[in-house]
Amino acid sequence: MNITKFAIPEIIFGRGSFRHVAPCAQRLGARRILLVSEEGIEQAGWVDQLRQMLSAEGFEQAYYSNVSSNPRDFQIEEGARFYREQKADVILAIGGGSTLDTAKGIAIIASNGGKISDYEGANQVHNPLPPMLFITTTAGSGSDVSQFCIVTSVERQVKMAIISRTLIPNISIIDPLLLTTISRTQIIYSAVDAIAHAVEAYLSIISSPLTELHSLRAVDKILAALPQAAENKSLDAMEVLSSASLSAGIAFSNASLGSEHALAHSLGGHFDMPHGVVHPILLPAFMRYNLDFAEKKLARLGEVILNHRQGNDRETALAGIARLEEFFGTLGVSTRLRDEIPPEKRDLLKEVCQMAVNDACTLTNPRPTSAHELLTLCGEVW
Amino acid sequence: MRKIASLEDLIGLDHGKIGHYEALQMNMHRLEIINDQLQQSRAEIQTILDGLTDIMLVLNDQLEIIRANRVFYTQFPEIEGQREGWHCYQIFGNADSPCENCPAVAALHTDSTVHSSQIHEIDGTFRHFDIIATPLVLGGTRRVQIFYRDVTRDKQLQAKYTEAEKMATVGVLAAGVAHEINNPLAAIQGFAEGLKRRMGRIKGEEDVLADFREYTSTILSECSRCRNIVRNLLSFSRPVAARRSSTDINRCIRDTLFILKNHIEEQCSIQLELDLDEKLPNIHGDESQLKQVIINLCTNAIDAMSGMGGRVIISSARTKKNGTAGVEFTIRDEGCGISPQHREKLFEPFFTTKTVGKGVGIGLSTCYTIVASHNGEISVKSTPGKGAAFTVYLPVEAP
Repeated sequence: MNITKFAIPEIIFGRGSFRHVAPCAQRLGARRILLVSEEGIEQAGWVDQLRQMLSAEGFEQAYYSNVSSNPRDFQIEEGARFYREQKADVILAIGGGSTLDTAKGIAIIASNGGKISDYEGANQVHNPLPPMLFITTTAGSGSDVSQFCIVTSVERQVKMAIISRTLIPNISIIDPLLLTTISRTQIIYSAVDAIAHAVEAYLSIISSPLTELHSLRAVDKILAALPQAAENKSLDAMEVLSSASLSAGIAFSNASLGSEHALAHSLGGHFDMPHGVVHPILLPAFMRYNLDFAEKKLARLGEVILNHRQGNDRETALAGIARLEEFFGTLGVSTRLRDEIPPEKRDLLKEVCQMAVNDACTLTNPRPTSAHELLTLCGEVW
Repeated sequence: MRKIASLEDLIGLDHGKIGHYEALQMNMHRLEIINDQLQQSRAEIQTILDGLTDIMLVLNDQLEIIRANRVFYTQFPEIEGQREGWHCYQIFGNADSPCENCPAVAALHTDSTVHSSQIHEIDGTFRHFDIIATPLVLGGTRRVQIFYRDVTRDKQLQAKYTEAEKMATVGVLAAGVAHEINNPLAAIQGFAEGLKRRMGRIKGEEDVLADFREYTSTILSECSRCRNIVRNLLSFSRPVAARRSSTDINRCIRDTLFILKNHIEEQCSIQLELDLDEKLPNIHGDESQLKQVIINLCTNAIDAMSGMGGRVIISSARTKKNGTAGVEFTIRDEGCGISPQHREKLFEPFFTTKTVGKGVGIGLSTCYTIVASHNGEISVKSTPGKGAAFTVYLPVEAP
């Protein structure tokens, strides 16, 4: 690929940037805002704060909160109906990847009609979307800057990937202060997801210098800041995580991902497991799997992970992967597939792998991937 | 995945954020198309309205003209320039307030379609309109749609036809009567003359003889009177489109009065006065039609004085109008006169103040038509309560 493209939203970053939400809504021409969020964010008090700020500036609001981890197609379609009934004009979402993806789905249906499955795949959205203003409350999903929207089809038990440049929100507000209310597990899962984004985007066959820069920065900063953030939610560490995760999001939105994410989507759709859970299990195995096809890039990653080179490219790469595996081990999360999937359901993996090779993420994986290879990889990490 | 993406799709060089501007443009484009369609259907409706041969107006509840079709503006070109603020009664009634028995008001009031027939003076001519007013609700406000069909020509033709038919019937009757009376009349006259011839042979009884002479001459003079009546009747029975010939107006007046005498004498309190110019030139005209004019005017004069008595003065004179020599005759009565509001409707067909059965309102309009066809003029002067005078001017020269 000689010609690449790099697109990101307007990004407002920094402690307290949350306070800029009203002027942002103003600029997007809002009068009646559809606010999308979830219970956890409500409990943290952010929704109330947000609504007070909006009310103070005279914005009318309609609130939609039927959001779950791995958002479902019917939740999105219901939200779009609500948007239309309420005659809202701007979509404002505050939450993690699931909330933001729900908001994106609502935006698609609100102005394009039909069912969300009609837009599965790349560039299937043809009408302009309502203006979107996103506030992320996690450091990892990247949904607040990306052109991806992942929705679970209840009927097919699969995660559908909807890819469209028009899904990039108009404005993304990233305020590290918001991260202080999330749990340790959420911090870890989001951060590992962000590492996977950064690594896969870096290895992607459509990566560009612009995305590679962000990928390497993300890996470096997350490894440095995560232990402290997980331990005491230090605001400085959270801010680093936040900006590193932003970099990872910027990288994968423009360079796409790889087979690891394809399998993660498929597993998540099938077993309804949180997206963050699978990456510590899968990522090192997939890095090794791609070694013959991306040795130089993996060596560069190894150098960033280790902070130095260790022998030749291959040795540096392998050492980096081993260090990453070791790092995941210290986080106290599952590192084997059997920890997350009951043994009696292992037979389903064949179907899951078959589904995964059809995911758009496999397209950019350096090594052409077959269902059989995916199944072998699943065996390795079982 | 149903729709397999490609690397090109992921890079999305041809795809970007579809923004407000595009949305606006698309909406504008859609609106433009809809606008074009609306314009077209509007033009279609206007074409249909313009195709109507009747005047069509849409009025608001103040009778202000909101919309009108092409025929309206063709008839009233002065309004085209300043369409706003015109009321129907300003145009049709020449008035500042709604006409009496306005069908538009009735339609609004009863919320149902109202049919009406009205006469309006437009550009100095009286026009007869059949009017249909239908209440409408347009955009939540009450309107009335009103059609004006000009039936002046129809009414004129109808009146002429009625008149012609009447005259034809009178003609047939008169001819029959004349025929039936002429024969016995000839016998009476013949025998009376025979009696007169034989009377010389009667000797003695001079008193009786003198009486007989007087009786026979009375019989003969009355016979000749009957002949005159018959002749006059026949002159009325001629076809309407009669020939024009040199006509003595004074003789017309005398002949007519001869027929009307009985009618006048019934009204014992009416005195008839004649003031004729004996040096009146003959005019070129239709004797029977002109007699009809005189009959109509005299009948009106007598009717105007019914029950109150007075004089009817008939005068004739030589005159000049716009340098043309002519004659004029005036029939003046001392009756009830004509009220100002009736005066302008006087010559309209079917306008009458007489009670039902006494007249249908075509007398004066027929006079008007006849005089106009002789290039003459008919005018009226009246003081309400004191009487009226109708003057007819006729040029000497043939038209």
